[in-house]
Amino acid sequence: MNLVFALAAAILFGIGAYLVLQRDLVRLVLGVAVISQSAVLTLLAASLRLGAAPIYPLPEGTLSDPLSQAMALTAIVIGMAVTALLLVLVFRVAVAFRSDELEEVAGEEVSLDARLEETEGEAHEREEAAAR
Amino acid sequence: MASAASAIAAVLFVALLAAWAAGGGSVSLPWAPTLGIRLELSLDGFAILYALLATGIGFLVFVYGSGYLPAHLGHQRRPASDARRFWPWMVVFMAAMVGLAMALDLVLLFVLFDITAVASYFLIGFDRQRAEARGAAFMALLVTAGSAVAMLLGAVLLYSEYGTFSLPVLFERAHPTPVTTAAAALIAVAALAKSAQVPLHFWLPRAMEAPTPVSAYLHSAAMVAAGVLVLGRIHPLLALDPAVLDALLLIGFASIAVGGLIALAQDELKQVLAHSTISQYGYVVVLYGIGGAHGAVAAALYVVAHAIAKSALFMTAGAVTEATGESRLSRLGGLARELPVVAVASGIAAASLAALPLTLGFFKDELFFEAAAEESPLVGALAVVAAGLTFAYLGRFWLGAFMGRRRTPASRISPLLVAPIVVLAVVSIIGGLFVEPFARLAAGAGAVTVGAPVDASPGYHLDLGLANVMAAAAWTLGIVILLATSVREPVARAVAAAGDRLGPRRVYGLGLLAFERLSEAAHRAEVRDLRTSLAAVLVPGAVLAALGFFATPTEGAYAVGPISAADLPIVALLALGVVAAFTAARDRGRLRPVLALSVLGASLAGVYAVMGAPDVALVAVVIETVVTLVFVTVFSQLPATVMGRAGPAAPSPHRIRNVAAGIVAGVTAFGVIWTALSRPPLGSSDAAQDIQLTPLAHGADVVTVILADFRGLDTMVEITVLAVAVLGVASLLRREREP
Amino acid sequence: MSPVIGVVAPRILAPAVMLAAGLIVKGYSDTGEGFSAGVIVALAIGLRYITLGRRRADRTLAVARHANVVAAAGLLIALGFGFQGVLSGAPPFTHLPPPGSPVIGIGTLELTTAVGFDVGLFLLVAGSLTVLIRYLTELLPDPADDPGDER
Repeated sequence: MNLVFALAAAILFGIGAYLVLQRDLVRLVLGVAVISQSAVLTLLAASLRLGAAPIYPLPEGTLSDPLSQAMALTAIVIGMAVTALLLVLVFRVAVAFRSDELEEVAGEEVSLDARLEETEGEAHEREEAAAR
Repeated sequence: MASAASAIAAVLFVALLAAWAAGGGSVSLPWAPTLGIRLELSLDGFAILYALLATGIGFLVFVYGSGYLPAHLGHQRRPASDARRFWPWMVVFMAAMVGLAMALDLVLLFVLFDITAVASYFLIGFDRQRAEARGAAFMALLVTAGSAVAMLLGAVLLYSEYGTFSLPVLFERAHPTPVTTAAAALIAVAALAKSAQVPLHFWLPRAMEAPTPVSAYLHSAAMVAAGVLVLGRIHPLLALDPAVLDALLLIGFASIAVGGLIALAQDELKQVLAHSTISQYGYVVVLYGIGGAHGAVAAALYVVAHAIAKSALFMTAGAVTEATGESRLSRLGGLARELPVVAVASGIAAASLAALPLTLGFFKDELFFEAAAEESPLVGALAVVAAGLTFAYLGRFWLGAFMGRRRTPASRISPLLVAPIVVLAVVSIIGGLFVEPFARLAAGAGAVTVGAPVDASPGYHLDLGLANVMAAAAWTLGIVILLATSVREPVARAVAAAGDRLGPRRVYGLGLLAFERLSEAAHRAEVRDLRTSLAAVLVPGAVLAALGFFATPTEGAYAVGPISAADLPIVALLALGVVAAFTAARDRGRLRPVLALSVLGASLAGVYAVMGAPDVALVAVVIETVVTLVFVTVFSQLPATVMGRAGPAAPSPHRIRNVAAGIVAGVTAFGVIWTALSRPPLGSSDAAQDIQLTPLAHGADVVTVILADFRGLDTMVEITVLAVAVLGVASLLRREREP
Repeated sequence: MSPVIGVVAPRILAPAVMLAAGLIVKGYSDTGEGFSAGVIVALAIGLRYITLGRRRADRTLAVARHANVVAAAGLLIALGFGFQGVLSGAPPFTHLPPPGSPVIGIGTLELTTAVGFDVGLFLLVAGSLTVLIRYLTELLPDPADDPGDER
């Protein structure tokens, strides 16, 4: 079973990594979501034991590890929070730049930066001159 | 608010006087016991001196400020409510100085030292609409707080050597070793930067951008005094190595020369005074470099006399500027007729600083000359030259403003601007007539610095004693410099110009520029390509994982693990999830990848249910629903250009690279996860304990009990993250925020 | 909008709240806890917002308009139950009443601090997710404006 879980979690992680490298920002968010799924799966698979649900009255036989379940729950919730925040962030970027292509957004940023720099450079020089 | 601040200062001053009469006291409370840091404060002679200065001069400066600030804000057309950003910082400034004076713990000393830097940042940059003021505040903060890090380093070095931050204990245990010397030197660096000593002096003249009350306080009893305060407090550590003391002598004399020469060339009133401060604290540093009982007492008296005179002179500069609207010596003159009270009072202050008889300042130079001559003839000679220089620039300052031809007419000014100067002048005269209380104060401080009782008996000796001869020589030299205009001015200008071209201020500017370039380059690399920043996280993580691989023994590290028929549903569901993930990755549309993602989530939830984790499965299902909902809603509203992109986008030029990166990431993760899962289970675990304790917590579902009870703090943090994320989403989606 | 959804959406909130209450009450002894209960209630509210549109839903469900207050109250309740022990010098998340002492019970529900914490958790989650949903539906065109729109 180790092998199966490891394989599944690793494939999910690889797919997530691939998605994160895309230039489409929405796919980047998808990638983050997939990676967090892979993390939760790993957490649960790492329980020391698998078996019945740990609910009283305790059933016969082995019990699943409740501690890693609690941790997995936390991981799921935080993963969701991060995904939602990222997605809305991307949405804002797409509205502001009329594009969700990483390159286009970055290009826009750079040109904005250059303009800002020009004005700021002038201000800086004035300040330096005033300091003398 | 101004009166409240003044009242606080006055009450503190009186309380300190009473405490002085009662013999002081001390308190030592644990602060961070595991780190050995204590809240160790002592009101000894040394603390009394600096605390009295900080509160006494603080009181007068606050009174002056209550007259000055409304006018200042009025000139700049700023609302009177801006005073709210002034007075609290002034009080913090004062409180930090009082605390600093009493602190006996190195870490406490460092913290209070930095609080003065922070307060000065806000006060120097009080005129925040002016770029010069902001730049000056930033420079003061960078130089003083940046070098304060050296102090912390020194403190940690001493702790590692002697196991304590407490100064009294350190004085007992310390013995001359290279580490001790290095630590002492590091602390001295921080102190010297604070006291604006060469080569870290350049921030002080620029700090003149501050409103005048701030300058007056900063130069006399607060910020700059904090530096020499630390030198005096840790002097036993400095004195362990003669080389450190020699360095102090050198730096002190260099500061006297640089500050004095540049002061001679300045036109702005406040600039003259600022450079004079550099020079005057040079004296104090020289005295601590000389060390011994005489040096320590002389330094203490010097600080007192200087603080009283210098704050008076700064307030004079502010009053003159307020009256005439002019701040340049070349445009001022003959004000003695129009501002007679200010002229006399500031004349007394200047005379005190120039060490003329009948003022408190006379005794500071008497002790200074005695200590210098005792050290060596060379130091004595340098002391005379230094005093001559001081005499010259103070003469130029006072004569230039109040004597000669009238150039700019003066208007009436508020008595609040004049009274504090008069009080300080009277104190200077009283000190000149009855020096005993001041000498006792200085002796008390000196005794703490050297760690043994000392006696100081400054007084008038009508004979040809060495100190008298040296003083006379200094005055003569000063008059000569003052009269030799044709030689003086070109030399002073040349020094000032050379300092501007080659000096440390330029190094600071270039350094700042280089940092800015570096950060800009880093920022650009990150903005241009998000992948660079991703790589910055992923690659080091992968390298660490790889290192872990090679360090782990492989034997038994990869176990396939048993598979039974009961596990088949898990395998099937996992396979479904993986297929869904592949679909999400391959499909270039919008909706289908999201649906695929939700299939992945659902199949994993199924896996959890079969694995005996129904709680996780339930949460996974509901959460998956929320995520899908959010995705779909956001997609439906993506701008038309994005949604309407014709057909599948052109394949990325980096497609092969991305696939390769994904495969590498997957393979690495596979290795790590597999070997992690193959670890044999431990015999006992927290989990077993949790299961056992659950009935005691009146619960039956162990997972819920863990979440709500055993590990409730984790859950608290988790939902806080959730709430913060929702807060972020809400602020991003606010309608009025839309561009 | 399909007629089924049109009928179900406004009526699903009550069962959802019942289910959530059940999850909290049973949560301590069976699957589920305040967190999933909160998400379920938020989802039911979300369905209402999506089908009715932001304005109509706001009008018919006053409590949703103040979801941020509910969330803040939940946070305070959770903090209060979590850190009550700190006031008396005990570590945070001290279980009260202490193990072994009798507990007031309502049916199978036993009133302990952990249950209070769970209720706070429920309010916080339901409240903050409702805030999220309200902001998201603000992006959508309001079906009340354009009944024919089926996007």
